[in-house]
Amino acid sequence: MTATQVGVAPPPAVKEQTSGPRHGPRDRPRDLQRTFQLVLATVWLLDAVLQLQPFMFTRGTNGFSGMLNGMASGNPGWIAHTIRWNGTIVYHEPIVTDSLFAGVQFLIAFGIAWKRTLKPALALSIVWSLGVWWFGEGLGGLFSGAATPFGGGPGGVLFYGLLAVLLWPSEGSDRPFVAARTVGARAAKAIWAVTWGVLTILCLVGSGRQPQALHDLVAGMNSGQPGWLAHLDRSTEAFFLHHGTSAAIGLAVVCAITALGVYLPPRVTQVTLVLAMVVFAAIWVAVQNFGGVLAGGATDPNGGLLVVILALVYWPLTGPPSATSGAAPDSVVPIEEVPAR
Amino acid sequence: MTATPSWLYHLFALLMLAVAAYCLTLLIVSVKERRMSGWDVDIAHVCMGVAMAGMFITAWAFGPAWVWELLFFVLMIWFIARSIQSVQEFGMHLPHYAIHALMSFAMLMMYVFPGATRGGASPSMGMSAVSGSRLDPGLALLLAFCFFASAIFTLASPCKGTVHHGSHVPEWALVGAVDGDGDDGSSLATLTTVGTFDRIVARPWLEDASHVVMCIGMGLMLILMI
Repeated sequence: MTATQVGVAPPPAVKEQTSGPRHGPRDRPRDLQRTFQLVLATVWLLDAVLQLQPFMFTRGTNGFSGMLNGMASGNPGWIAHTIRWNGTIVYHEPIVTDSLFAGVQFLIAFGIAWKRTLKPALALSIVWSLGVWWFGEGLGGLFSGAATPFGGGPGGVLFYGLLAVLLWPSEGSDRPFVAARTVGARAAKAIWAVTWGVLTILCLVGSGRQPQALHDLVAGMNSGQPGWLAHLDRSTEAFFLHHGTSAAIGLAVVCAITALGVYLPPRVTQVTLVLAMVVFAAIWVAVQNFGGVLAGGATDPNGGLLVVILALVYWPLTGPPSATSGAAPDSVVPIEEVPAR
Repeated sequence: MTATPSWLYHLFALLMLAVAAYCLTLLIVSVKERRMSGWDVDIAHVCMGVAMAGMFITAWAFGPAWVWELLFFVLMIWFIARSIQSVQEFGMHLPHYAIHALMSFAMLMMYVFPGATRGGASPSMGMSAVSGSRLDPGLALLLAFCFFASAIFTLASPCKGTVHHGSHVPEWALVGAVDGDGDDGSSLATLTTVGTFDRIVARPWLEDASHVVMCIGMGLMLILMI
């Protein structure tokens, strides 16, 4: 192997490069909007790989088509018909359709990761999440009265679409919070309030406040879970059976406080966000069972994880504003802390 | 209808072997040029690629499991040591070697807690159509998520090839790649000093791609083991 030397002197050592002022991308504050876009892409990649599980390629009630057809129940006739129509297609061509579905999700994940295709990928993720919400989640159980936030209502996949809108790329500052960068603080706060307002209502309507229904929600997830999670499930089931209504009201209060939290001073907002994240992380584990992923029969991690990410996107950034686009001085990574290897 | 999409496992097994072959090529080039940067990552990827191929396709597995376990244990310790070294040298940060330590740990776990095989047991590690592993599903999911995150952030990284494999391209030639634009002239000049073979084989995006493929393949295997 030969190297074509052109008489360029080797650069100084890394230590020397990092000791003085240097104006490259590594000096720039971390672009938090981009970071959250990549987190969203990571979740899409997880979904894509979950789509490659063997049972997804099979027919029957335990296969992907059976899972889709199961979402039709409880919905109005014409909606149920569309869901079953999709399920029939998947039943007849399970390998082609599942490969296609996985391929689209890979496309979204890689598309978001690659900056040149970021916007088309985010647009596709919005369309795809709406499609999955309709055909794959049966509209999140909204029409069957089973859309309790405990179970991921009104549909975990909707949060993918919502995040895609809020993280749509734009120039500007990540302040006062990342979600405001594209749509503006007022619109972002309104979206937040409406979202959490809907969650508040869903806690209190339908089967969401019935102890037996909440118990059955967890009991339905119990099968196939690892021992420690199954043990936790049994505790949750017992809790819901005895305090289901109180739990629903408590969650509604938390959602209502969270809805209003963004209109309060930043410090108070942070407290409400922490409260929401802790509560929904607990729900994600103890009720949603990570979306059923650990039982080997899920296509996504359900809404709990996405709600936590959404809350982080609304985290108020304190400290002096930065002149740099997308700047967040408290997230600056000093060049000394970025070793090449 | 078969419950196991064998074509999918063959596809991933081939991808794993491709990564192993590519990293072996890089390793040979390194030794030939006496440029030892990134050799540990390449060795790890060669081992992981071959082992993963044997996990996807049982018939391709070889060697006793304890040898693989020992190998990945040693690699894990090595990368942990390199991570600590990096922290000591550069201060508190998340060193890139940590992901390689995690990958070695995942490989070790997959051998220690193998899944049930279909289509004939093998004395070596073979997990085609793997299921029912004793590996805790929560740990498997956590590891898989870390690998997917690493794949995505690697794809999006503006520092192509500079942080992932201990690039084979001379450090100073990567200044342009790190800066991204290379519009200062010097970056372009330095890049022209790279050898012809380096420019083909040791392209930063190729090095990144091998890491991305390995992360996704390993993540898939962990999901299949749940």
